[in-house]
Amino acid sequence: MLEPVELKDFFIVFFSGAMVIMAGALYSLLFAWSKLQSKPWLMVLAYLAYGILFIAVLTLGSAAHLHGYWWWLVIAMLVGYLLAPHGIWKLCVATHLIQKPTQTDDLPHSKKLQSKL
Amino acid sequence: MKLNHLNGGQQLAVKYYTVAIILFVAQIIFGLLSGMQYLVPDLLLGVLDFNVTRTIHINAMIVWMLYGFMGSVYWLLEEESKTEIVGLKLGNIGFWLLTTAVTIVVLVFLLIQSGPGDDFTRWFINEGREYIEAPRWADIGIVICMLIFFYNAAATFMKGTWSGISGVLVLDLVALAGIYIAGMFYTPNISIDQYWWWWVIHLWVEATWEVLVGCLMAWGLMKTLKVDRKIVTTWLYIEVALMFGSGILGLGHHYFWIGTPEYWLTIGGFFSALEPIPLVAMVVHAVYDAGARQMKGNNNPALAWLIAHAFGNFFGAGVWGFMHTLPQINLYTHGTQWSASHGHLAFFGAYATIIIAMIYIAVPYIRGQEGIGSNLPDGGWKWKWSLGLLNLGVVGMTIALLISGYEQSFIERAVGGSTWYGYFAAQIHPWFVQGMEWRMIFGLVTAVGLVLLIWDLLTIGKQKQA
Repeated sequence: MLEPVELKDFFIVFFSGAMVIMAGALYSLLFAWSKLQSKPWLMVLAYLAYGILFIAVLTLGSAAHLHGYWWWLVIAMLVGYLLAPHGIWKLCVATHLIQKPTQTDDLPHSKKLQSKL
Repeated sequence: MKLNHLNGGQQLAVKYYTVAIILFVAQIIFGLLSGMQYLVPDLLLGVLDFNVTRTIHINAMIVWMLYGFMGSVYWLLEEESKTEIVGLKLGNIGFWLLTTAVTIVVLVFLLIQSGPGDDFTRWFINEGREYIEAPRWADIGIVICMLIFFYNAAATFMKGTWSGISGVLVLDLVALAGIYIAGMFYTPNISIDQYWWWWVIHLWVEATWEVLVGCLMAWGLMKTLKVDRKIVTTWLYIEVALMFGSGILGLGHHYFWIGTPEYWLTIGGFFSALEPIPLVAMVVHAVYDAGARQMKGNNNPALAWLIAHAFGNFFGAGVWGFMHTLPQINLYTHGTQWSASHGHLAFFGAYATIIIAMIYIAVPYIRGQEGIGSNLPDGGWKWKWSLGLLNLGVVGMTIALLISGYEQSFIERAVGGSTWYGYFAAQIHPWFVQGMEWRMIFGLVTAVGLVLLIWDLLTIGKQKQA
Protein backbone atom coordinates (compact mmCIF):
# COMPACT_ATOMS: atom_id res chain seq x y z
CA MET A 1 0.00 0.00 0.00
CA LEU A 2 1.37 3.37 -1.02
CA GLU A 3 1.06 6.36 1.30
CA PRO A 4 2.15 9.56 -0.51
CA VAL A 5 4.44 12.09 1.10
CA GLU A 6 2.71 14.85 3.02
CA LEU A 7 3.02 18.42 1.81
CA LYS A 8 5.02 19.51 4.85
CA ASP A 9 7.57 16.74 4.23
CA PHE A 10 8.41 17.56 0.60
CA PHE A 11 11.65 19.31 1.35
CA ILE A 12 12.65 16.66 3.91
CA VAL A 13 12.21 13.91 1.32
CA PHE A 14 14.23 15.71 -1.36
CA PHE A 15 16.94 16.77 1.06
CA SER A 16 17.29 13.42 2.81
CA GLY A 17 17.25 11.66 -0.60
CA ALA A 18 20.14 13.82 -1.78
CA MET A 19 21.95 13.28 1.53
CA VAL A 20 21.71 9.50 1.16
CA ILE A 21 23.71 9.64 -2.06
CA MET A 22 26.09 12.41 -0.97
CA ALA A 23 26.85 10.79 2.38
CA GLY A 24 27.17 7.42 0.64
CA ALA A 25 29.75 8.89 -1.74
CA LEU A 26 31.60 10.59 1.14
CA TYR A 27 31.65 7.31 3.08
CA SER A 28 33.06 5.49 0.03
CA LEU A 29 35.63 8.22 -0.59
CA LEU A 30 36.89 8.32 3.00
CA PHE A 31 36.80 4.54 3.29
CA ALA A 32 38.99 4.09 0.21
CA TRP A 33 41.26 6.98 1.10
CA SER A 34 41.81 5.60 4.59
CA LYS A 35 42.76 2.18 3.20
CA LEU A 36 44.97 3.71 0.53
CA GLN A 37 46.86 6.03 2.88
CA SER A 38 46.80 3.64 5.88
CA LYS A 39 45.28 6.35 8.05
CA PRO A 40 42.83 4.86 10.57
CA TRP A 41 41.46 8.26 11.61
CA LEU A 42 40.05 8.66 8.12
CA MET A 43 38.12 5.44 8.70
CA VAL A 44 36.51 7.06 11.75
CA LEU A 45 35.41 9.94 9.51
CA ALA A 46 34.18 7.39 6.96
CA TYR A 47 31.91 5.76 9.51
CA LEU A 48 30.75 9.20 10.65
CA ALA A 49 29.69 9.79 7.03
CA TYR A 50 27.92 6.45 7.12
CA GLY A 51 26.22 7.66 10.34
CA ILE A 52 24.88 10.66 8.36
CA LEU A 53 23.71 8.25 5.66
CA PHE A 54 22.01 6.13 8.33
CA ILE A 55 20.11 9.14 9.69
CA ALA A 56 19.25 10.30 6.14
CA VAL A 57 17.86 6.87 5.21
CA LEU A 58 15.74 6.70 8.37
CA THR A 59 14.50 10.26 7.84
CA LEU A 60 13.64 9.45 4.24
CA GLY A 61 11.92 6.24 5.36
CA SER A 62 9.83 8.13 7.90
CA ALA A 63 8.90 11.07 5.61
CA ALA A 64 8.15 8.84 2.63
CA HIS A 65 6.10 6.44 4.80
CA LEU A 66 8.27 3.44 3.99
CA HIS A 67 6.29 1.13 6.25
CA GLY A 68 5.27 -2.52 5.88
CA TYR A 69 7.23 -4.30 3.16
CA TRP A 70 8.72 -0.94 2.13
CA TRP A 71 10.75 -1.20 5.34
CA TRP A 72 12.84 -3.82 3.54
CA LEU A 73 13.98 -1.09 1.18
CA VAL A 74 15.29 0.89 4.15
CA ILE A 75 17.16 -2.20 5.36
CA ALA A 76 18.49 -2.91 1.85
CA MET A 77 19.80 0.65 1.53
CA LEU A 78 21.44 0.59 4.98
CA VAL A 79 23.13 -2.77 4.36
CA GLY A 80 23.90 -2.08 0.69
CA TYR A 81 25.62 1.26 1.24
CA LEU A 82 27.53 -0.17 4.23
CA LEU A 83 28.88 -3.26 2.50
CA ALA A 84 29.25 -2.17 -1.14
CA PRO A 85 32.48 -0.14 -0.59
CA HIS A 86 33.99 -3.13 1.26
CA GLY A 87 33.14 -5.40 -1.67
CA ILE A 88 34.43 -2.97 -4.28
CA TRP A 89 37.67 -2.51 -2.31
CA LYS A 90 38.23 -6.28 -2.26
CA LEU A 91 37.57 -6.38 -6.00
CA CYS A 92 40.02 -3.51 -6.54
CA VAL A 93 42.77 -5.34 -4.68
CA ALA A 94 42.03 -8.62 -6.45
CA THR A 95 41.89 -7.10 -9.94
CA HIS A 96 45.11 -5.12 -9.46
CA LEU A 97 46.90 -8.24 -8.23
CA ILE A 98 46.30 -9.88 -11.61
CA GLN A 99 47.87 -6.90 -13.35
CA LYS A 100 51.00 -7.62 -15.37
CA PRO A 101 53.95 -5.39 -14.49
CA THR A 102 53.75 -2.26 -16.65
CA GLN A 103 55.68 0.96 -16.95
CA THR A 104 53.53 2.71 -14.38
CA ASP A 105 54.33 0.05 -11.78
CA ASP A 106 57.83 1.42 -11.76
CA LEU A 107 56.55 4.71 -10.36
CA PRO A 108 57.61 5.14 -6.72
CA HIS A 109 54.00 5.86 -5.76
CA SER A 110 52.81 2.56 -7.25
CA LYS A 111 55.45 0.61 -5.33
CA LYS A 112 54.41 2.39 -2.13
CA LEU A 113 50.78 1.53 -2.84
CA GLN A 114 51.51 -2.13 -3.58
CA SER A 115 53.49 -2.48 -0.37
CA LYS A 116 50.48 -1.15 1.57
CA LEU A 117 48.12 -3.61 -0.06
CA MET B 1 41.03 18.25 -44.12
CA LYS B 2 43.39 15.42 -45.13
CA LEU B 3 42.41 12.12 -43.53
CA ASN B 4 44.50 9.70 -45.60
CA HIS B 5 46.74 8.84 -42.65
CA LEU B 6 43.72 7.54 -40.69
CA ASN B 7 42.41 4.00 -41.07
CA GLY B 8 39.05 3.34 -42.76
CA GLY B 9 37.08 3.12 -39.53
CA GLN B 10 38.59 6.35 -38.26
CA GLN B 11 37.78 8.17 -41.51
CA LEU B 12 34.17 7.06 -41.13
CA ALA B 13 34.26 8.11 -37.45
CA VAL B 14 35.25 11.65 -38.43
CA LYS B 15 32.10 11.87 -40.58
CA TYR B 16 29.96 10.70 -37.65
CA TYR B 17 31.64 13.14 -35.26
CA THR B 18 31.08 16.01 -37.70
CA VAL B 19 27.34 15.36 -37.97
CA ALA B 20 27.19 14.80 -34.19
CA ILE B 21 28.55 18.30 -33.57
CA ILE B 22 26.16 19.84 -36.14
CA LEU B 23 23.23 18.15 -34.39
CA PHE B 24 24.60 19.26 -31.00
CA VAL B 25 24.38 22.85 -32.32
CA ALA B 26 20.80 22.16 -33.49
CA GLN B 27 19.93 20.79 -30.05
CA ILE B 28 21.16 23.97 -28.36
CA ILE B 29 19.49 26.35 -30.87
CA PHE B 30 16.12 24.63 -30.53
CA GLY B 31 16.60 24.34 -26.77
CA LEU B 32 17.12 28.09 -26.56
CA LEU B 33 14.01 28.65 -28.69
CA SER B 34 11.94 26.31 -26.47
CA GLY B 35 13.26 28.06 -23.36
CA MET B 36 12.34 31.48 -24.79
CA GLN B 37 8.83 30.24 -25.58
CA TYR B 38 8.30 29.63 -21.86
CA LEU B 39 9.12 33.31 -21.26
CA VAL B 40 7.47 34.75 -24.41
CA PRO B 41 4.64 32.34 -25.23
CA ASP B 42 3.74 34.20 -28.45
CA LEU B 43 7.23 33.76 -29.88
CA LEU B 44 6.92 32.12 -33.34
CA LEU B 45 3.35 31.09 -32.50
CA GLY B 46 1.83 29.39 -35.52
CA VAL B 47 5.22 29.30 -37.26
CA LEU B 48 7.36 27.14 -35.00
CA ASP B 49 5.24 26.18 -32.02
CA PHE B 50 6.68 24.91 -28.75
CA ASN B 51 5.81 21.31 -29.56
CA VAL B 52 7.94 21.53 -32.72
CA THR B 53 10.97 23.27 -31.18
CA ARG B 54 10.95 20.92 -28.19
CA THR B 55 10.64 17.86 -30.43
CA ILE B 56 13.66 18.94 -32.47
CA HIS B 57 15.58 19.90 -29.29
CA ILE B 58 15.14 16.43 -27.81
CA ASN B 59 15.43 14.38 -30.99
CA ALA B 60 18.57 16.26 -32.01
CA MET B 61 20.04 15.34 -28.62
CA ILE B 62 19.22 11.63 -28.97
CA VAL B 63 20.52 11.51 -32.53
CA TRP B 64 23.74 13.49 -31.96
CA MET B 65 24.58 11.19 -29.08
CA LEU B 66 23.87 8.17 -31.27
CA TYR B 67 26.18 9.65 -33.94
CA GLY B 68 28.78 10.28 -31.24
CA PHE B 69 28.61 6.68 -30.00
CA MET B 70 28.78 5.27 -33.52
CA GLY B 71 31.70 7.54 -34.37
CA SER B 72 33.51 6.44 -31.22
CA VAL B 73 33.02 2.75 -31.99
CA TYR B 74 34.21 3.22 -35.60
CA TRP B 75 37.20 5.15 -34.24
CA LEU B 76 38.40 2.32 -31.99
CA LEU B 77 37.28 -0.56 -34.24
CA GLU B 78 40.45 -1.27 -36.25
CA GLU B 79 42.79 -0.58 -33.34
CA GLU B 80 40.83 -2.82 -30.98
CA SER B 81 40.35 -5.67 -33.50
CA LYS B 82 43.88 -5.33 -34.92
CA THR B 83 42.56 -5.69 -38.45
CA GLU B 84 40.98 -3.65 -41.25
CA ILE B 85 37.31 -2.80 -40.92
CA VAL B 86 34.95 -5.21 -42.70
CA GLY B 87 32.25 -3.69 -44.90
CA LEU B 88 33.54 -0.12 -44.96
CA LYS B 89 31.57 0.67 -48.12
CA LEU B 90 28.40 -0.56 -46.46
CA GLY B 91 29.30 1.50 -43.38
CA ASN B 92 29.60 4.59 -45.58
CA ILE B 93 26.24 3.82 -47.20
CA GLY B 94 24.75 3.44 -43.70
CA PHE B 95 26.17 6.82 -42.72
CA TRP B 96 24.68 8.61 -45.73
CA LEU B 97 21.38 6.73 -45.36
CA LEU B 98 21.10 7.76 -41.71
CA THR B 99 22.14 11.35 -42.41
CA THR B 100 19.68 11.67 -45.29
CA ALA B 101 16.89 10.21 -43.13
CA VAL B 102 17.70 12.59 -40.24
CA THR B 103 17.76 15.58 -42.62
CA ILE B 104 14.40 14.67 -44.18
CA VAL B 105 12.81 14.04 -40.77
CA VAL B 106 14.01 17.42 -39.45
CA LEU B 107 12.72 19.17 -42.59
CA VAL B 108 9.34 17.43 -42.19
CA PHE B 109 9.23 18.44 -38.50
CA LEU B 110 10.00 22.04 -39.49
CA LEU B 111 7.90 22.44 -42.63
CA ILE B 112 4.96 20.04 -42.27
CA GLN B 113 5.02 19.60 -38.49
CA SER B 114 1.85 17.59 -37.90
CA GLY B 115 -0.95 15.70 -39.62
CA PRO B 116 -4.23 13.95 -38.87
CA GLY B 117 -4.11 10.95 -36.51
CA ASP B 118 -3.96 8.33 -39.24
CA ASP B 119 -1.54 5.87 -40.81
CA PHE B 120 -0.17 8.40 -43.29
CA THR B 121 0.93 10.69 -40.45
CA ARG B 122 2.44 7.77 -38.57
CA TRP B 123 4.39 6.58 -41.58
CA PHE B 124 5.50 9.90 -43.08
CA ILE B 125 5.19 12.82 -40.63
CA ASN B 126 5.40 12.03 -36.92
CA GLU B 127 4.88 8.83 -34.97
CA GLY B 128 3.87 10.82 -31.90
CA ARG B 129 6.00 9.11 -29.28
CA GLU B 130 7.98 11.57 -27.18
CA TYR B 131 11.78 11.42 -27.82
CA ILE B 132 11.34 9.06 -30.78
CA GLU B 133 8.89 11.03 -32.90
CA ALA B 134 10.53 10.00 -36.19
CA PRO B 135 7.95 8.59 -38.64
CA ARG B 136 7.82 4.84 -39.31
CA TRP B 137 9.83 4.90 -42.57
CA ALA B 138 12.67 6.62 -40.74
CA ASP B 139 12.40 4.09 -37.89
CA ILE B 140 12.96 1.29 -40.37
CA GLY B 141 15.89 3.21 -41.82
CA ILE B 142 17.39 3.66 -38.34
CA VAL B 143 17.14 -0.07 -37.63
CA ILE B 144 18.78 -0.88 -41.00
CA CYS B 145 21.62 1.55 -40.19
CA MET B 146 22.03 0.00 -36.74
CA LEU B 147 22.22 -3.46 -38.32
CA ILE B 148 24.91 -2.23 -40.74
CA PHE B 149 26.73 -0.74 -37.77
CA PHE B 150 26.41 -4.07 -35.95
CA TYR B 151 27.69 -5.95 -39.01
CA ASN B 152 30.71 -3.64 -39.34
CA ALA B 153 31.62 -4.14 -35.68
CA ALA B 154 30.87 -7.87 -35.34
CA ALA B 155 32.42 -8.89 -38.67
CA THR B 156 35.57 -6.85 -38.00
CA PHE B 157 36.09 -8.43 -34.60
CA MET B 158 35.37 -11.87 -36.05
CA LYS B 159 38.02 -11.31 -38.71
CA GLY B 160 40.51 -9.82 -36.25
CA THR B 161 40.86 -10.48 -32.55
CA TRP B 162 38.24 -10.42 -29.83
CA SER B 163 38.76 -8.72 -26.48
CA GLY B 164 36.63 -8.26 -23.38
CA ILE B 165 35.69 -4.77 -24.52
CA SER B 166 34.74 -5.90 -28.03
CA GLY B 167 32.70 -8.85 -26.70
CA VAL B 168 30.61 -6.62 -24.44
CA LEU B 169 30.35 -4.02 -27.18
CA VAL B 170 29.06 -6.37 -29.87
CA LEU B 171 26.48 -7.97 -27.55
CA ASP B 172 25.36 -4.49 -26.57
CA LEU B 173 24.89 -3.50 -30.21
CA VAL B 174 22.45 -6.40 -30.66
CA ALA B 175 20.34 -4.92 -27.85
CA LEU B 176 20.77 -1.39 -29.22
CA ALA B 177 19.19 -2.32 -32.55
CA GLY B 178 16.74 -4.87 -31.12
CA ILE B 179 15.21 -2.73 -28.38
CA TYR B 180 14.46 0.10 -30.81
CA ILE B 181 11.96 -2.20 -32.55
CA ALA B 182 9.85 -2.17 -29.36
CA GLY B 183 8.93 1.44 -30.12
CA MET B 184 7.84 0.85 -33.70
CA PHE B 185 4.46 -0.83 -33.59
CA TYR B 186 1.10 0.81 -33.06
CA THR B 187 -1.58 -0.04 -30.52
CA PRO B 188 -4.65 2.08 -29.67
CA ASN B 189 -4.21 1.29 -25.94
CA ILE B 190 -2.12 4.11 -24.48
CA SER B 191 -0.97 2.02 -21.48
CA ILE B 192 0.32 -0.80 -23.68
CA ASP B 193 1.83 1.73 -26.07
CA GLN B 194 3.68 3.52 -23.26
CA TYR B 195 4.72 0.20 -21.74
CA TRP B 196 6.74 -0.71 -24.87
CA TRP B 197 7.78 2.85 -25.62
CA TRP B 198 9.62 2.94 -22.26
CA TRP B 199 11.55 -0.14 -23.30
CA VAL B 200 13.24 2.00 -25.93
CA ILE B 201 13.74 5.05 -23.74
CA HIS B 202 14.72 3.44 -20.45
CA LEU B 203 16.49 0.35 -21.71
CA TRP B 204 18.42 2.37 -24.27
CA VAL B 205 19.37 5.09 -21.83
CA GLU B 206 19.84 3.14 -18.60
CA ALA B 207 21.07 -0.13 -20.05
CA THR B 208 22.47 -0.28 -23.61
CA TRP B 209 23.83 3.27 -23.71
CA GLU B 210 25.35 2.89 -20.25
CA VAL B 211 27.08 -0.33 -21.33
CA LEU B 212 28.29 1.34 -24.53
CA VAL B 213 29.63 4.20 -22.42
CA GLY B 214 31.28 1.63 -20.11
CA CYS B 215 33.10 0.18 -23.15
CA LEU B 216 34.15 3.64 -24.36
CA MET B 217 35.28 4.61 -20.85
CA ALA B 218 37.34 1.41 -20.56
CA TRP B 219 39.02 2.09 -23.92
CA GLY B 220 39.37 5.81 -23.10
CA LEU B 221 41.13 5.04 -19.80
CA MET B 222 43.58 2.77 -21.58
CA LYS B 223 44.32 5.52 -24.11
CA THR B 224 44.59 8.51 -21.77
CA LEU B 225 45.93 6.95 -18.54
CA LYS B 226 47.51 3.78 -19.96
CA VAL B 227 45.45 1.70 -17.53
CA ASP B 228 46.09 -2.04 -17.86
CA ARG B 229 43.68 -3.84 -20.21
CA LYS B 230 43.02 -6.68 -17.77
CA ILE B 231 41.90 -4.23 -15.11
CA VAL B 232 39.54 -2.20 -17.31
CA THR B 233 38.07 -5.38 -18.78
CA THR B 234 37.43 -6.94 -15.38
CA TRP B 235 35.79 -3.74 -14.19
CA LEU B 236 33.73 -3.52 -17.33
CA TYR B 237 32.24 -6.96 -16.52
CA ILE B 238 31.60 -5.92 -12.90
CA GLU B 239 30.01 -2.66 -14.01
CA VAL B 240 27.76 -4.36 -16.55
CA ALA B 241 26.62 -6.90 -13.93
CA LEU B 242 25.86 -4.16 -11.38
CA MET B 243 24.16 -1.97 -13.95
CA PHE B 244 21.91 -4.69 -15.31
CA GLY B 245 21.22 -5.98 -11.78
CA SER B 246 19.40 -2.82 -10.79
CA GLY B 247 18.96 -0.92 -14.07
CA ILE B 248 16.76 -3.32 -16.04
CA LEU B 249 14.00 -3.56 -13.44
CA GLY B 250 14.59 0.10 -12.55
CA LEU B 251 12.45 0.44 -15.70
CA GLY B 252 9.57 0.18 -13.23
CA HIS B 253 9.90 3.85 -12.22
CA HIS B 254 8.44 4.74 -15.61
CA TYR B 255 5.50 2.38 -15.07
CA PHE B 256 4.20 4.05 -11.91
CA TRP B 257 1.44 6.14 -13.47
CA ILE B 258 0.69 4.79 -16.95
CA GLY B 259 -1.98 2.25 -16.05
CA THR B 260 0.23 -0.79 -15.46
CA PRO B 261 -0.48 -3.18 -12.54
CA GLU B 262 0.24 -1.97 -9.00
CA TYR B 263 3.19 -4.32 -8.44
CA TRP B 264 5.27 -2.02 -10.65
CA LEU B 265 5.18 0.55 -7.84
CA THR B 266 7.08 -1.87 -5.63
CA ILE B 267 9.41 -3.23 -8.31
CA GLY B 268 10.17 0.23 -9.68
CA GLY B 269 10.57 1.76 -6.23
CA PHE B 270 12.91 -0.93 -4.92
CA PHE B 271 15.17 -1.32 -7.94
CA SER B 272 15.34 2.41 -8.65
CA ALA B 273 16.30 3.11 -5.04
CA LEU B 274 19.08 0.54 -5.25
CA GLU B 275 20.39 1.79 -8.62
CA PRO B 276 22.73 4.42 -7.10
CA ILE B 277 24.51 1.95 -4.76
CA PRO B 278 26.92 0.65 -7.46
CA LEU B 279 27.44 4.23 -8.64
CA VAL B 280 28.38 5.33 -5.12
CA ALA B 281 30.53 2.26 -4.47
CA MET B 282 32.49 3.00 -7.65
CA VAL B 283 33.92 6.05 -5.84
CA VAL B 284 36.13 3.49 -4.08
CA HIS B 285 37.50 2.33 -7.41
CA ALA B 286 38.07 5.90 -8.61
CA VAL B 287 40.05 6.72 -5.44
CA TYR B 288 42.03 3.48 -5.76
CA ASP B 289 43.00 4.13 -9.35
CA ALA B 290 43.74 7.80 -8.78
CA GLY B 291 46.10 6.74 -5.98
CA ALA B 292 47.74 4.12 -8.17
CA ARG B 293 48.23 6.31 -11.25
CA GLN B 294 48.37 9.88 -9.94
CA MET B 295 46.32 10.91 -13.00
CA LYS B 296 49.27 11.11 -15.38
CA GLY B 297 47.71 11.35 -18.82
CA ASN B 298 48.70 12.19 -22.38
CA ASN B 299 45.56 14.08 -23.39
CA ASN B 300 44.52 16.74 -20.90
CA PRO B 301 41.19 17.84 -22.44
CA ALA B 302 40.04 14.23 -22.87
CA LEU B 303 41.02 13.37 -19.30
CA ALA B 304 39.22 16.47 -17.98
CA TRP B 305 36.05 15.46 -19.88
CA LEU B 306 36.32 11.89 -18.56
CA ILE B 307 36.45 13.30 -15.02
CA ALA B 308 33.46 15.54 -15.87
CA HIS B 309 31.72 12.36 -17.03
CA ALA B 310 32.32 10.61 -13.69
CA PHE B 311 30.96 13.58 -11.71
CA GLY B 312 28.12 14.29 -14.12
CA ASN B 313 26.97 10.67 -14.09
CA PHE B 314 27.12 10.59 -10.29
CA PHE B 315 25.14 13.80 -9.75
CA GLY B 316 22.83 13.68 -12.76
CA ALA B 317 21.84 10.04 -12.62
CA GLY B 318 22.60 9.33 -8.95
CA VAL B 319 21.64 12.32 -6.83
CA TRP B 320 19.07 13.93 -9.13
CA GLY B 321 17.52 10.60 -10.02
CA PHE B 322 17.25 9.24 -6.50
CA MET B 323 15.72 12.42 -5.03
CA HIS B 324 12.44 11.78 -6.82
CA THR B 325 12.48 8.12 -7.73
CA LEU B 326 10.34 6.63 -4.96
CA PRO B 327 6.67 6.45 -5.98
CA GLN B 328 5.64 8.14 -2.72
CA ILE B 329 7.23 11.39 -3.97
CA ASN B 330 7.27 10.67 -7.70
CA LEU B 331 3.48 10.96 -7.58
CA TYR B 332 4.05 14.72 -7.39
CA THR B 333 7.17 15.18 -9.48
CA HIS B 334 6.56 12.88 -12.48
CA GLY B 335 6.57 14.87 -15.72
CA THR B 336 7.23 18.23 -14.08
CA GLN B 337 10.35 20.34 -14.53
CA TRP B 338 11.91 17.99 -11.94
CA SER B 339 12.19 15.42 -14.71
CA ALA B 340 13.63 18.07 -17.04
CA SER B 341 16.18 19.04 -14.37
CA HIS B 342 17.24 15.40 -13.91
CA GLY B 343 17.25 14.85 -17.69
CA HIS B 344 19.46 17.85 -18.45
CA LEU B 345 22.16 16.89 -15.94
CA ALA B 346 21.99 13.13 -16.51
CA PHE B 347 22.15 13.24 -20.32
CA PHE B 348 24.93 15.79 -20.31
CA GLY B 349 26.84 14.18 -17.44
CA ALA B 350 26.53 10.59 -18.53
CA TYR B 351 26.69 10.88 -22.32
CA ALA B 352 27.64 14.29 -23.78
CA THR B 353 30.79 14.42 -21.65
CA ILE B 354 32.17 11.06 -22.75
CA ILE B 355 31.46 11.71 -26.43
CA ILE B 356 33.33 15.01 -26.17
CA ALA B 357 36.18 13.13 -24.43
CA MET B 358 36.25 10.58 -27.27
CA ILE B 359 36.35 13.38 -29.86
CA TYR B 360 39.28 14.96 -28.00
CA ILE B 361 41.04 11.58 -28.05
CA ALA B 362 40.57 11.50 -31.83
CA VAL B 363 41.57 15.10 -32.59
CA PRO B 364 45.38 14.82 -32.16
CA TYR B 365 45.45 11.68 -34.34
CA ILE B 366 43.44 13.50 -37.01
CA ARG B 367 46.16 16.19 -36.94
CA GLY B 368 48.91 13.54 -36.96
CA GLN B 369 49.95 14.08 -33.35
CA GLU B 370 50.31 11.78 -30.35
CA GLY B 371 48.36 13.64 -27.66
CA ILE B 372 47.41 17.00 -26.18
CA GLY B 373 49.68 18.00 -23.31
CA SER B 374 49.81 21.06 -21.10
CA ASN B 375 52.26 22.86 -23.38
CA LEU B 376 49.75 24.33 -25.84
CA PRO B 377 50.87 27.74 -27.20
CA ASP B 378 47.71 29.47 -25.95
CA GLY B 379 47.76 27.62 -22.62
CA GLY B 380 44.72 25.65 -23.75
CA TRP B 381 42.34 28.43 -22.63
CA LYS B 382 39.68 27.48 -25.19
CA TRP B 383 39.23 23.89 -24.02
CA LYS B 384 39.38 24.95 -20.38
CA TRP B 385 36.80 27.72 -20.83
CA SER B 386 34.51 25.56 -22.95
CA LEU B 387 34.71 22.81 -20.31
CA GLY B 388 33.92 25.35 -17.58
CA LEU B 389 31.13 27.14 -19.45
CA LEU B 390 29.40 24.00 -20.70
CA ASN B 391 29.42 22.46 -17.22
CA LEU B 392 28.40 25.72 -15.53
CA GLY B 393 25.62 26.23 -18.07
CA VAL B 394 24.17 22.76 -17.66
CA VAL B 395 24.47 22.77 -13.84
CA GLY B 396 22.86 26.24 -13.78
CA MET B 397 19.98 25.06 -15.99
CA THR B 398 19.59 21.99 -13.77
CA ILE B 399 19.27 24.04 -10.59
CA ALA B 400 16.92 26.58 -12.23
CA LEU B 401 14.69 23.76 -13.50
CA LEU B 402 14.85 22.12 -10.07
CA ILE B 403 13.41 25.25 -8.46
CA SER B 404 10.65 25.45 -11.07
CA GLY B 405 9.97 21.73 -10.71
CA TYR B 406 9.80 21.96 -6.93
CA GLU B 407 7.24 24.76 -7.20
CA GLN B 408 5.30 22.86 -9.86
CA SER B 409 5.12 19.62 -7.84
CA PHE B 410 4.03 21.66 -4.82
CA ILE B 411 1.42 23.98 -6.33
CA GLU B 412 0.24 22.09 -9.41
CA ARG B 413 0.30 18.57 -8.01
CA ALA B 414 0.06 18.61 -4.20
CA VAL B 415 -2.06 21.74 -3.63
CA GLY B 416 -3.82 21.96 -7.00
CA GLY B 417 -4.48 18.20 -7.24
CA SER B 418 -3.17 17.96 -10.84
CA THR B 419 -6.13 19.99 -12.14
CA TRP B 420 -5.99 22.51 -14.98
CA TYR B 421 -6.44 25.23 -12.36
CA GLY B 422 -3.41 23.86 -10.49
CA TYR B 423 -1.42 23.66 -13.73
CA PHE B 424 -1.98 27.29 -14.67
CA ALA B 425 -1.51 28.51 -11.08
CA ALA B 426 1.89 26.81 -11.08
CA GLN B 427 2.88 28.12 -14.53
CA ILE B 428 2.41 31.78 -13.58
CA HIS B 429 3.93 31.54 -10.11
CA PRO B 430 7.02 33.78 -9.68
CA TRP B 431 9.20 30.81 -8.62
CA PHE B 432 8.36 28.99 -11.83
CA VAL B 433 8.86 32.04 -14.03
CA GLN B 434 12.13 33.02 -12.34
CA GLY B 435 13.37 29.46 -12.71
CA MET B 436 12.63 29.66 -16.42
CA GLU B 437 14.44 32.99 -16.69
CA TRP B 438 17.55 31.60 -15.01
CA ARG B 439 17.33 28.51 -17.18
CA MET B 440 17.44 30.81 -20.21
CA ILE B 441 20.50 32.66 -18.91
CA PHE B 442 22.36 29.42 -18.24
CA GLY B 443 21.20 28.09 -21.61
CA LEU B 444 23.02 31.01 -23.21
CA VAL B 445 26.11 30.20 -21.11
CA THR B 446 25.92 26.64 -22.46
CA ALA B 447 25.65 27.98 -26.02
CA VAL B 448 28.78 30.12 -25.56
CA GLY B 449 30.57 27.05 -24.17
CA LEU B 450 29.57 25.08 -27.24
CA VAL B 451 30.87 27.77 -29.61
CA LEU B 452 34.21 27.71 -27.77
CA LEU B 453 34.26 23.90 -27.87
CA ILE B 454 33.79 23.86 -31.65
CA TRP B 455 36.40 26.59 -32.11
CA ASP B 456 38.81 24.57 -29.98
CA LEU B 457 38.15 21.28 -31.79
CA LEU B 458 38.80 23.01 -35.11
CA THR B 459 42.02 24.66 -33.98
CA ILE B 460 43.64 22.77 -31.09
CA GLY B 461 47.09 21.46 -31.94
CA LYS B 462 47.22 23.30 -35.28
CA GLN B 463 49.95 25.57 -33.94
CA LYS B 464 53.12 23.84 -32.79
CA GLN B 465 53.10 22.93 -29.09
CA ALA B 466 55.54 25.00 -27.00
